[in-house]
Amino acid sequence: MSKVKVINGITLNEKKKKFKLFPIINGLIFILISLIIIVPIWKVIVDSFDGKAGYGMSLWPQQFSLGGYTTIITNPGLYRPFIISVITTLVGTFLGLLLATLGAYVLIQWEMPGRNFFAYMLLFTMIFDGGMIPKYLVMQNLHLLNTLGAVILPLAINVYNLVLMRNFFEGIPEALFEAASIDGCSPMGTFFKIVLPLSKAALASIGLFYAVQFWNDYTNFKIYINDQKWYNFQMKLRNMVVNNDVPDDGVISTNTINNAAVIVAILPFAIIYPFCQNYFVKGVNVGAVKE
Amino acid sequence: MQCKNCGAELPKHAQICPKCGTRVAEEKNVKVIAIVGVILALIGSLLPFAQDTEEGAIAKAFSFMNIDIAAMWYVFLALGIVSIVLLVAKKDKFSWISTGLALVVFFASFFAIDFRHYTARNNFKLYKLPDLLSNGLNGDHVSIGVGTILVVVGLVLAVCGCFIDVVAKFKKKGNVDTKYLTNKLNKNIWAEVYYYRFFYLMFLPVFIMVCLFNYWPMLGVRFAFTKYVIMNPYYVGLKNFNQMIFNDIYFWQAFRNTLFLSVVKLILNTGLAVIISLLLNEIVNLLFKKSVQTIIYLPHFMSWVVVASIFRLLLSVNSSGMFNSMLISAGLMDANNPTFWLGDPKTWVGTFFFINVWKDTGWSTVLFLATLSGVSPDLYEAAEIDGANRWNKLVSITLPALYNTIITVFILNLAKVMNLFESVFVLQNDSVNDVAQVLQTYVYFKTFGAGTSDFGYTTAIGLFKSFVGMILVLSCNYASKKVRGRGIV
Repeated sequence: MSKVKVINGITLNEKKKKFKLFPIINGLIFILISLIIIVPIWKVIVDSFDGKAGYGMSLWPQQFSLGGYTTIITNPGLYRPFIISVITTLVGTFLGLLLATLGAYVLIQWEMPGRNFFAYMLLFTMIFDGGMIPKYLVMQNLHLLNTLGAVILPLAINVYNLVLMRNFFEGIPEALFEAASIDGCSPMGTFFKIVLPLSKAALASIGLFYAVQFWNDYTNFKIYINDQKWYNFQMKLRNMVVNNDVPDDGVISTNTINNAAVIVAILPFAIIYPFCQNYFVKGVNVGAVKE
Repeated sequence: MQCKNCGAELPKHAQICPKCGTRVAEEKNVKVIAIVGVILALIGSLLPFAQDTEEGAIAKAFSFMNIDIAAMWYVFLALGIVSIVLLVAKKDKFSWISTGLALVVFFASFFAIDFRHYTARNNFKLYKLPDLLSNGLNGDHVSIGVGTILVVVGLVLAVCGCFIDVVAKFKKKGNVDTKYLTNKLNKNIWAEVYYYRFFYLMFLPVFIMVCLFNYWPMLGVRFAFTKYVIMNPYYVGLKNFNQMIFNDIYFWQAFRNTLFLSVVKLILNTGLAVIISLLLNEIVNLLFKKSVQTIIYLPHFMSWVVVASIFRLLLSVNSSGMFNSMLISAGLMDANNPTFWLGDPKTWVGTFFFINVWKDTGWSTVLFLATLSGVSPDLYEAAEIDGANRWNKLVSITLPALYNTIITVFILNLAKVMNLFESVFVLQNDSVNDVAQVLQTYVYFKTFGAGTSDFGYTTAIGLFKSFVGMILVLSCNYASKKVRGRGIV
């Protein structure tokens, strides 16, 4: 494709300009894919601002209104689940990170007697689990049903995230640990002064995994909680869309409120996600590539 | 003690001579057969020791579960677990003590302690097993059950297995690298434990949580062998499994649906993700590439409830549903006879797959893109010089580079196919149960749905699910070790 020209004894390698079809088709394919993903979300955003019911195909609000959102902010039946979601996410992420870092730090002590026993003990839970009903009965025995403990505690101990954290920790140079122990640093001191400051990226990445998991949790709420008082936002949203359990004051269409609720459920992660995308990607890659 | 090879003085707990590196203590392997024996015995302790083979209203079966002193089973279990731990720690001789004690517990319960036979809930009579075996129960013949055989065979195997070293036959004899091993092997274990004492303290929270929320439920699988209607489980032997396998068509339907939905979903997801990442890799404009990536990753971070809500609103049949309005105005659909995309078994499966692809395919490209960005550009340059076109480069460079990642992703996800729950749960409804009910949702609806529920029966289904899942994970792990040299768990 490149032809060699010789002008006054100097060789020039000149690329022949050719109309390339592939990049254009390729670009169009991705515009199409992006549209397939964006349009449903966009439609929900539009409808959440549309005070009139019966939106049909319109991709722009026919009658602009913030009514859906004001209902969510002012109706206690709607903002209480939101606050519960926020609490479970914050507490759960903190607890999850604490357990994952402690467990992972112990798992990198290769010389410690019993280290392999602990590792196999954790790994076995990835192979076999008791199932939904025995777990439910355990929650009953622990008197955790209908409390937030039932939804925070079992998700906080996530063996996959713990192993992921261990993979991150393995990247810390051995020499640092040796230097710390020579300088008289206790294991706890090493943990807080060396391991944690060096794994900020890991903490961000796994913390985000935990946060997404807690924010999006529906299964555990569905199984362990049947008291409306302790519903999180996902549960409430589900009830709104499926059972039409929407506060109806006759002014705002219930569909508008539903659409607004969907947006509110997406919003927290839609806002922080573009800034944290790299942490998510990094977490996934470390999980699959190193392990 | 002195080294036989070089005569040097050895430290107290030495296994390897620090001077010349020869082994002074014999190398031990884990006795796999003995461990299998203990596990068999533990499984056997759940199964009937003696039973009437005919089926009654309340099955006549006897096991640790309906022994009059319930603590016996926990003692047996604890001894079994101690045996396994000792065997893994290579203390064979000590494991004989616990295994022997387990055998004693078993025979003591078999011959000396009464077993309950429930004639109704809360109403039972006590029988001794030897009497039952010789005289029968109410005229019915009672015979030795599979549990007795498994427990006895298992425990005998657990003792005898200590003499058979299977691992040694497969293990290559390697030289000990003195530089690395001497320090560890020659230390006194209790001194080590003391040195690491803070780490045990640090592991304690994780240990407690795992025991509470992972291992305690595992003990709950015993309810699979009971009838458990309102807080009063009583042992019915294998009746639940019999019912499940031979008399429950819905169970088999759910099993088929689970396999079909998750395997097709996996293939679609992985296949499309590979194609998308190959195309995405061809895009030169970095900004465009980044934006596309941001957009296609986005749906992964929405919960299934949100995704289901979006599509419920979008596919709604009334005038506010965008998709049907579009088809109607394009003349592709009759306005009076709209399609219920998620309410019709014919369209449900397709819609389910579409929504799954919409949500997760973008995110699945992450690993493939990472692999592709690791392919050296030199290879492509070299190929170009050799006159390769786009297709040649794809077949000879890109695909071979991706091959390992594709297998990895496939294996990682294949291990999870039995866990299908939330995605189906939020998209299904009563009218599509034939195609949409999967094992987990079946368990959920049968337990928490309307009517009196038998926790025992649904636990049995759950146990079956966990068991198939375990086989899948282990075979995927094996496959993974073969293909890429390391396991997935």
